[in-house]
Amino acid sequence: MSLKKFSELFADLDSINSTNNKIEVLKSYFLSNEPIDNSWAIYLLTGKSNKRLISGRYLKKLFSQIYEYPQWLIDACYLKVGDSAEVITLLLKNKTTSRNKKLSNISLNELLSKIIPELSKLDEEKKILEIKKIWETIPEDNHLIFNKILTGTFRIGVSTALIRKSISKLINIDETIISHRLMGNFKPSIESYEFLINKNINIEELNTKPFPFLLANTFEDKILKRTINDFQFEWKYDGIRMQLIKRSGNISLWTRGQELVNESFPELVEKMSHIEDNFVLDGELLVWNFKEQIAFDFSLLQKRINRKSPARSIQIKYPIIFIAYDLLEINGRDIREIKLEKRRIDLEKYFSKWQNKTENNFSDIFKICDLIYPKDWSDALTYKEKSRENNTEGLIIKQKNSVYASGRKKGFWWKYKVDPMQLDAVLIYAKGGSGRRAGLYTDYSFALWKDQELIKFASAYSGLTNIEIKELDKWIRKNTIKKFGPVRSLKPEMVFEISFEKIQISKRHKSGIAVRFPRITKWRKDKKIKDADSLENAYELMKKIT
Amino acid sequence: MRTKKEDLIRYKDGNLYCELADIWIDPRKPVKTALITHAHFDHFTFGCEQYISTKETAILLKKRVGDNIKIKTFEYGEEFKINGINISFHPSGHILGSSQIRFIFAEEKWLISGDFKLQKDETCKQYEIVKTDYLISECTFGLPIFKWDQTNKIANNISEWITNSPEKTSLLFCYSLGKAQRLINEITQTNFNGNIYSHGSIYKINNCYKELGIDIKDTIKIENKKKFEELRGSLILLPPSLSKGSYLKNFKNIQTAFASGWMSIRALRKRSGYDKGFTISDHADWDGILEVVKKSEAKNVFFHHGDSEALSKYLVEKESINVLFLGQ
Repeated sequence: MSLKKFSELFADLDSINSTNNKIEVLKSYFLSNEPIDNSWAIYLLTGKSNKRLISGRYLKKLFSQIYEYPQWLIDACYLKVGDSAEVITLLLKNKTTSRNKKLSNISLNELLSKIIPELSKLDEEKKILEIKKIWETIPEDNHLIFNKILTGTFRIGVSTALIRKSISKLINIDETIISHRLMGNFKPSIESYEFLINKNINIEELNTKPFPFLLANTFEDKILKRTINDFQFEWKYDGIRMQLIKRSGNISLWTRGQELVNESFPELVEKMSHIEDNFVLDGELLVWNFKEQIAFDFSLLQKRINRKSPARSIQIKYPIIFIAYDLLEINGRDIREIKLEKRRIDLEKYFSKWQNKTENNFSDIFKICDLIYPKDWSDALTYKEKSRENNTEGLIIKQKNSVYASGRKKGFWWKYKVDPMQLDAVLIYAKGGSGRRAGLYTDYSFALWKDQELIKFASAYSGLTNIEIKELDKWIRKNTIKKFGPVRSLKPEMVFEISFEKIQISKRHKSGIAVRFPRITKWRKDKKIKDADSLENAYELMKKIT
Repeated sequence: MRTKKEDLIRYKDGNLYCELADIWIDPRKPVKTALITHAHFDHFTFGCEQYISTKETAILLKKRVGDNIKIKTFEYGEEFKINGINISFHPSGHILGSSQIRFIFAEEKWLISGDFKLQKDETCKQYEIVKTDYLISECTFGLPIFKWDQTNKIANNISEWITNSPEKTSLLFCYSLGKAQRLINEITQTNFNGNIYSHGSIYKINNCYKELGIDIKDTIKIENKKKFEELRGSLILLPPSLSKGSYLKNFKNIQTAFASGWMSIRALRKRSGYDKGFTISDHADWDGILEVVKKSEAKNVFFHHGDSEALSKYLVEKESINVLFLGQ
């Protein structure tokens, strides 16, 4: 089995729009290739590999060095293509004359388990020679895959859900089982593929793995017609969704992004080890303001996420808490099929048992989520509006008689988010997009007034329709004041409504403020730049919240 | 006698203009005299008093503008004189009738490349190397990421694309003048032997090509087909304008593709909304432009139609060629 087959799979998946056809293509790929290569294919397609051997920038530099090619010319090409691996692939077409005629036929497994790991151990000079050799010996059709694996940019519009469906159809086993088998670490091997396609379902094998998370859908108005007593109400925290697992005495903390983060939060792991029962809890990790009993901002949590084995001082400075929403498994018994209201009773029962029996008081790091009890829907709305005061994003509404399904299933949970904050701002810079938006100016920076000056306050690149993007791109090209590399400064003329979730003081920005999740919600063609908001308006928004 | 020649041809109102002869090249506004390099819609406009072109371009132009236009034709290589300037058309290899236009004045030569390609194309005359002092060249694909594969390789890919999905109707979108005829000619030389259908707008031009002696296979006019459902396994050529909107609802179980040089870039391919893109162009790629610049022996080069920044810099730095800007 060669890399060629995988390149063909990539090209096929890239050019098929229909989900069913994609599934068929994947199924026939799995059927016609070796388990080990299938395992690698799944590893790549589900984005389990986020490690990159070299950066896109370095790849371009390498090409420039090997073929004595001007760097600026590569950069000019990049602006059009938007992906380093692809630019180099296209430029390599010009180098085919020097190509060795004896093309080697390497397998996906060989490439990923042998060639790439060995490559990463080489020193600069040898690495360059080796990459050049590979470029000149593998078939031209494989260049894109090879370059993409090198730079770790493997996004091709195939979701994990699609892989799941394909495997599920391949072996006729329910998708949720496959989904569960795919959770957590996935080490490509013959065994891991055979485990995935095993027709016998054995819960023991899934011991270290979290359950697939149940996700909330956006609130729909039709729910308002139903009686409020059908639902359980919780605050929607802005932290890291997590499953806290204790099985056979071993504790694992799995994020929704399927990362094992035990090392980042040792104090939580330590406290959990004192609980006698085995369990799986679904909940949220936050940096907690114990004095006021509300969450601190997400930015403080960021100080903890990527820090392994944090010092005691960091643990004190950014105190964490795990808020449990749900109990999914207790002492080896999977209770996801039990109704939510019953699971809640169990959650409360075990929590108070643990609290009473554990010598080590854990209320400083672990609690169950408080419920809210609105009298009617208009009362629920009032709660929602108040959510900013306690640093939450709104409400989570859960149907009391729902089971714990997997994925973003409709009809179980809803998120009822508080309306975003908005400011009208002036477009002042634009930058070329990458990936699918290559060749278009799609990354925008917006400014607010401070006296007579426009001060940059946010960057956004989502929210416009494709037609608007094209229209704005044209306008940008005609109204450029100055070019700084890929960035253009623009004539201040266009006003946009920018929506965002949070606003806070920031010393890092000239404007003195930082906003979270800024996006464009309207192109205000009706407004002149003098009608745009000022920084003062932004400060006022901040006051309103705190 | 005019002595200053650096601006024999310049830009005026966004069009190429020769003041000395009062003639415009491919003007997009009605003028007195228009030299037309080829019959694509973005190279001419309605309402000029007089058109001048090759014989083939004239016939195609009449199909598009109407029979009543005043048009003068010349053979490739035949010189004619306007106000002391010797002018002649030379094959540019872009589409049937397409030409480069050469001006000779005061012993200096100017060459307007028109749209051109160097690749083999049996539906039009091969590009002719013309020596010049000043070259005004298009640079639609003026970056080294553009490198065309052999036409027969792409044709085979298209053939495989159709035959690999025999249960489907394959809709291939392409420009109706030039590209469509080139594709018909190439695809009939592959293993694909199913039916080829053409949209009316393409069918009309196919006939025109045949009248002008270009031997391409007969296709079936898609409008003559009563039941669109029975098109399984065949190829339908359609103009890109029909790719969006309700026209596609006429067909069942389709796969779509677009044939264009831009399809070499994945982001553009994805954005275009077609299932597949085939990289085949009637314009020169990067190497093609460089070859023409070098072989023309031009000492001064101007670029238009495309982003010329990188190409200009490359020629100046690597090839020491003088690249200039066309003044207003």
